[in-house]
Amino acid sequence: MKRRDFLRVSTLGAAASAMGGVSLLTWAPRAQAATINKTYYITDGYIEQPDGTNVYFRGYSSNSTTLNVPGESLIVQEGDTVNITIVNTLSSSHSFVIDGLVDSGSIRGGRSSSFSFIANKAGSHLFYDKLNTPFNRLVGLHGGFAVMPQGKSNELYEGSPQFVQQYFWIFNDIDPVWHDEIRRGRTPATRYIPRYFTINGLSGRPPGAPGSHDPNIDSLTDPRTALHGHIGDRTLIRIFNAGKADQSVHTHANHMEWLTENGQIRPDIWRKDCIYLEANKGAIDAIFPFHAPMDAYPPVTTGAFPMHLHTEMSQTAAGGLYMFGSMTDIYFE
Amino acid sequence: MFKVKSNLMGRMGGGGGGGMGGGGGGGGGMGGACYTYPASPATPGLATPDVVYNRGIYMNGSITMDDGRSIRIWGFTDGGGGMGGGGNGMDMGNSTFPSPAMRVYEGEIVHSNLNVNGMMWVHTIHHHGIEPSMENDGVGHISWDVDGAYTYQWRASSAGTYFYHCHTNTVLHAEMGMYGALIIDPKPNPNDPAGTKRAFKDGPIYDSEVIWAVDEIDSRWHGLSWDAGTCGADVGLNLLEPDYFIITGVDGAQSALTAPGISATVQVGERLLVRYICAGYHPQEIRLGGLTADIVASDGRPLPNAVSVQSFRAISAERYDMIIDTSEPGEYIIEMDINDWVTGQTWGTAKTKITII
Repeated sequence: MKRRDFLRVSTLGAAASAMGGVSLLTWAPRAQAATINKTYYITDGYIEQPDGTNVYFRGYSSNSTTLNVPGESLIVQEGDTVNITIVNTLSSSHSFVIDGLVDSGSIRGGRSSSFSFIANKAGSHLFYDKLNTPFNRLVGLHGGFAVMPQGKSNELYEGSPQFVQQYFWIFNDIDPVWHDEIRRGRTPATRYIPRYFTINGLSGRPPGAPGSHDPNIDSLTDPRTALHGHIGDRTLIRIFNAGKADQSVHTHANHMEWLTENGQIRPDIWRKDCIYLEANKGAIDAIFPFHAPMDAYPPVTTGAFPMHLHTEMSQTAAGGLYMFGSMTDIYFE
Repeated sequence: MFKVKSNLMGRMGGGGGGGMGGGGGGGGGMGGACYTYPASPATPGLATPDVVYNRGIYMNGSITMDDGRSIRIWGFTDGGGGMGGGGNGMDMGNSTFPSPAMRVYEGEIVHSNLNVNGMMWVHTIHHHGIEPSMENDGVGHISWDVDGAYTYQWRASSAGTYFYHCHTNTVLHAEMGMYGALIIDPKPNPNDPAGTKRAFKDGPIYDSEVIWAVDEIDSRWHGLSWDAGTCGADVGLNLLEPDYFIITGVDGAQSALTAPGISATVQVGERLLVRYICAGYHPQEIRLGGLTADIVASDGRPLPNAVSVQSFRAISAERYDMIIDTSEPGEYIIEMDINDWVTGQTWGTAKTKITII
């Protein structure tokens, strides 16, 4: 097994932010279908958790020398041809799967595989490694994939409520004992006890904590994750749960408009401040409306508010450290 | 995140910025906490309120479970002040559990005056589901944690069911019981007969109501100090293994089957509104014992169309308002399973009863 010991999230996050951030926030519709080419390198290494513990991960990385957890998100347009190349730099077999769209099959250690599919299902999807379920997914092999409706820049599906910007929130929960067993090529057999909790691969840091305000470490300020908007900047959030624990996604300041649940368009749009996010690839699409907070007095149009999971065990790290879990900030600018 | 933060941090002393790993977790004093920001600033734009709630703190309350065991509870008192509260059993003076409800009308300017009345600990009030300004959102750690007194100011915009809870070391403080119901009623409709109650503006009329704030208790957690884990000590706050299951502060093993305000006896055709609050952390599944209910609102917002259910599930801090179909006489046992967030296995079941005569 090839490993890059103690590869720190500080360098990894920078790469992910630089490549992922811009493409998420801007999307230009095209009249013609395009061909999208993307190569992911399956790599591994260690990511430092809030208490200083280095935990083993594998990722769909953007090049062979980084470890990106989750993999860089992709946004394509309905009808596009997507060519994916997976370079498996590890010795173990892995795969790349988007349910209903593509399954690479097993890619043996040290091998590469290229495959194509037509992105014919508008909406939000999770790509993940289906082999050794759920272990390869839990250990970091997952990422977000979105298909925009043809010719649209502001709809989730044809005729959906509209938005002006979009983000992915990919949650995970981490049992380091399991991760170490996976590193050793063994099947975890202990009770699963999640000890770290992430959003887009990072955990929160309250003010004053080491790494606070470092966008490569602190999920409250990670530009892939923290919402920034002015009043009226309706924001689509594509939410996935790669982990094993059910979660409650809770926004302060505005209720969310709840559009889909596990890929299905909901019959009515409910306005919710907490939404049930199922474990094991659970998925939600919601719009954060960025309207002026309705109960503020005197009225306000600016401020900073948290989004956090209300399943509060997820707000901890290493059994304590409240506010070092899965959370981010929402900035009304 | 808030501008005040940088100012606070300069004069915080032992409050924030403490080292990682080790330390803290056990001590009761302010010096033991990390990443809390004690302050009691003035409320921006303080206005004349329409309604005022004064809330103090109690840290030494307890409830007696059906098996006779006493569990330590923290909460908010009515009337402010009150370091003590406490006592034994359910009689805690003005230290009730859950904390006393707040109930206001749409359009009212509300003041929630928090007085933590002492330097031994810090707390906040977060009005969950309310959309206030950031200064009045009550999120400790990233704004400030009240060490003296603070007036939370907001104006109620949307009728429905909410709750309020402490947002300092929230994972522990909410589990310890620091929450209470928050209900916004619609303004009375002048075309309705006097005394008519509606779930929300132009919403369904109801005659009677119950509040089911369903929660689990892990008694191990209830021996921890207010700042447990904040400096990095592993106090097991990632692992919630509940051994008691309660409805609105009452043991769901037996007592909640007959507790007033939770259990209900209604006439055939009486319109009973249930305000359900998922006050725990693990997922819940509620079975209505053969009854049917129309869910008419969730999280303080009317649903576009009511949804008819005989059972439903919920996750932490969701609220569902439902009108029970009382057309068939009988005794109906309502069962609320608290299921593990990872395995889905049921930790326990809280029960109450609706009797239709």
